[in-house]
Order: sequence, then structure tokens, then C-alpha cells
Amino acid sequence: AEAASSRKARQKDWTKLIYSTSLTAEEILHGEKQEQKSDVEMDEDDLFQVKKTTGDDAEALDMSKESVEKEELKKWEDEDMLESIRHLFITGGDGPLGE
Amino acid sequence: MAQIGSIVQFSGHQHLRQRLVLSILSGKHVRIDKIRSEDKNPGLRDFEVSLLRLLEKVTNGTIIEISLTGTAILLKPGIISGGPITHDCPLSRSIGYFLEPIIMLSPFAKKPVHLTLKGITTDEHDLSVDLLRTVTLPHLQLFGISDGLELRIKRRGAAPGGGGEVQFLCPVVKQVKTLNFIEPGKIKRIRGIAHAVRVNPQFSNRMIEAARSILNRYIPDIYLYSDVYKGDESGKSPGYALSLLTESTTSALHCAEAISEPGVAPEDIGLKATRALLAEVNRGGCVDRKHQTLVLLMMVLGSEDVGRCRMGEPTPRTIQFLRDVQSFFGTSFKIVSADTSDPECTHLLYSCYGTGYVNANRTLA
Repeated sequence: AEAASSRKARQKDWTKLIYSTSLTAEEILHGEKQEQKSDVEMDEDDLFQVKKTTGDDAEALDMSKESVEKEELKKWEDEDMLESIRHLFITGGDGPLGE
Repeated sequence: MAQIGSIVQFSGHQHLRQRLVLSILSGKHVRIDKIRSEDKNPGLRDFEVSLLRLLEKVTNGTIIEISLTGTAILLKPGIISGGPITHDCPLSRSIGYFLEPIIMLSPFAKKPVHLTLKGITTDEHDLSVDLLRTVTLPHLQLFGISDGLELRIKRRGAAPGGGGEVQFLCPVVKQVKTLNFIEPGKIKRIRGIAHAVRVNPQFSNRMIEAARSILNRYIPDIYLYSDVYKGDESGKSPGYALSLLTESTTSALHCAEAISEPGVAPEDIGLKATRALLAEVNRGGCVDRKHQTLVLLMMVLGSEDVGRCRMGEPTPRTIQFLRDVQSFFGTSFKIVSADTSDPECTHLLYSCYGTGYVNANRTLA
């Protein structure tokens, strides 16, 4: 069942997630890591949610540059990856999927 | 985050800058408690206190109360006065940390801001003065803030010694324009600035060579500039960095940068900046991740009309910013997929109804 729900990869309802839930930013972006909660239904009936204290690291800096992950950079050593964004440049013709 | 009267309340030290900015712009008082209250070194850090002092200088009549332990603050904003200001930034954060919130406030000052900031000009946490000059300021032009907008880099200052100096000049506006930016366009040019201070000046060229080895394949219009600062202008510590940006046919800008690390060759710094740029370009949209909050803020302050902008997914910072904007201005954005027919589309269309914010400080003049 877990695979099925993730495979759907349905588009997130950002407006609702941001304004009508108390999920943290990380939970919104990367899905909820909720332990044993049958389903993630944020109905009005769900009275309270235990406020998690994760991400409240005292030294978490207020900064505008995100540190780039090594993995993310590693991807760009690959020739196919470099070619995959050619359509974003004026010299690159139309996108592969007609974007 | 309950709102009592005109006081908006928050807990924790995070997102301090945006909350102070929103308070000053909206005129609502803000109270922030539990600032590192559980930490073994509780309360505000020196750079946060310094930021509060800077905000006092930029405004007139602002009252800031800090609790004895430094774990709670109350800010009652005055008017944004502007004018000539000088501020020494502590070496714990770079100039970018201080300039980013000032850029959000300055267009709404009573007199044009002429701010001199001294400290570290480039570090790994905040936007460097190069990106602020070449990418952040052009974003203000989208909203009709352009004549007399300038950032001059007088001296560079690498960490840890600093010694850099910049001058920020910003005109005042009555109102900002409504944004309608939904076409990302295609990338037509790449620009970059490499600088090296108190190290072999060849390091700039070595970073540029490395960046070109990847970028040359895409377009011919690439200009990477080696910015040389000598003697007293080069600050107190050695360091070098490469800042890169792409500009599209519709003037969408994406940027990235990398700065020197001990034991890493300049070539690798050049490659790191380039790959970070490609990752940013690949995310696409009209505005890059580092400038989401600035653009969204100006959309909220826009005239009473619907503003639209196409961007990638919000960053964690942006998500909190959207929530904070709602707390201060009551404005919420509609965020939908930019292409509802394509389930793979990661771009989002952000739209909101501008508050019709008028620079009341200016009319007093």
C-alpha cells in the first residue's frame, strides 16, 4: 500500500499544506515521517497534533544560501546529465518533451 | 503564532530577519520569545543584536526591548527613515546577512538609503556582495525600483578577518508594480565574477578556466570577469570565490557561487560553482531559490491587482515566509502547478492579490 501511494506521486496541494496545516516545512517538502498514523488526513476532526521539536536546532542559521549537497553536484559530472538541460538554452532547440 | 491586537508573536530564533522586516513594513509589533532558551548559551547572538542596532539606524522611532537573558525581544517599529548610515558588521556573519533585510526595507524609506557596511563580503552562508549586486538588485527592477539603485564594492573582505566595505544606494518609491512573470524563457547569456584576494591572482583565472570547461558547450555568450583588488582594497584575510549567473530571454536570473576552502584547488571551486549553477538552472522557473522570498514580498506589497510568478518548489525558508506574511499582512498566495495537464511539472504558479502598499513615509517628506 505504501508503494502505491508513493507511486501516485500526486501533485501536492501547496496552498492547503502551507496555510491549513501545522506541518513543518521539511514535512511538507519531504513527506511526513509519522509513526503509526494510519493515514494522513488533516480533517477538522483531527483535534490536536503533537508539536514536534525537530528542526529546532539552536545553531540552525538564518541563511539565504543553501549548502549544496555533494550528491547533487556529483550528478553534473555525467555527460548525459549535462546534455539533458541543453533545451533550456537559446541554442538548444526545443525541449525533449516539448516543454 | 497567535495574533493579539497588533502584536504578532513567534517563538525561536529562526527566521528572525524576515519577521523583523515584516514587522517594520506592516507596522505591527512583534514579540519573539524562547530564543535559544534551551541552549547552553541562550539568547541572541552578537550578529542578531547587531542587526537590531542596524534596523534602529535605518528607522526612526523604533523601540526594541530585549529581555535580560536575551531570550525574548519586543520590536515596536517606527518609520523607515533612510538617509546616510554606516554600520560595522560583526565578523560572525557576512555583509549579506545584514544587507538582505535592508534591501527589502529600503524602497519604502522616507529618504533614499545610502548605507555603508563594513565586514566580510563573501562567505558560505549568505549571498555574497557580487550576487547581491548582479542578481538581487535586478530583481527589484521587476517591481519598478531601478533609478539610482546601486551596490558599490569598495573593498573586499574574506573571512575570518573581513575588512571589506560596500555602499548600498537605493531610491525610494511610492508603490511597487504588480508582477506578472510567468515565462522563464531560454538562457541567452552567462556571466560571472571571479575574485581572489591575498592569494595568487592567477587563482581567478584558474576558476574561470574550470567553469568554462563545462559551460562552453551551451552558449557562446559567456563572460567571466576576473575582479582584481589590490593592497588595502583586498581586506585582511586571503580568500577567493566564483559567482555565476545565467540570464534568460525574459530576464529570468539564476545564480550560484562557491568560495575557497582550505586544501581545495581553485579548479575544484570553479567546478563546484558551475555544477551548482546547472543544478539551479535545471530547477528552472522565473526566479531562483535564493530570491523567492524577496520576490514574494514585493508581490504582497504590489498594487491592488493579482500578481503572478512562476517558480520552482518553495524552499523551507519560503514556506515559513509565506506563513509569516499571512500573520502580518493577512495575504495568502494561491500556489498551483504551472501546467496542470502535466503531472511531471515541478513548476508552480504563485499568485496573490497585492495589498496596495503605499510608502507613507515618503509622502511625509
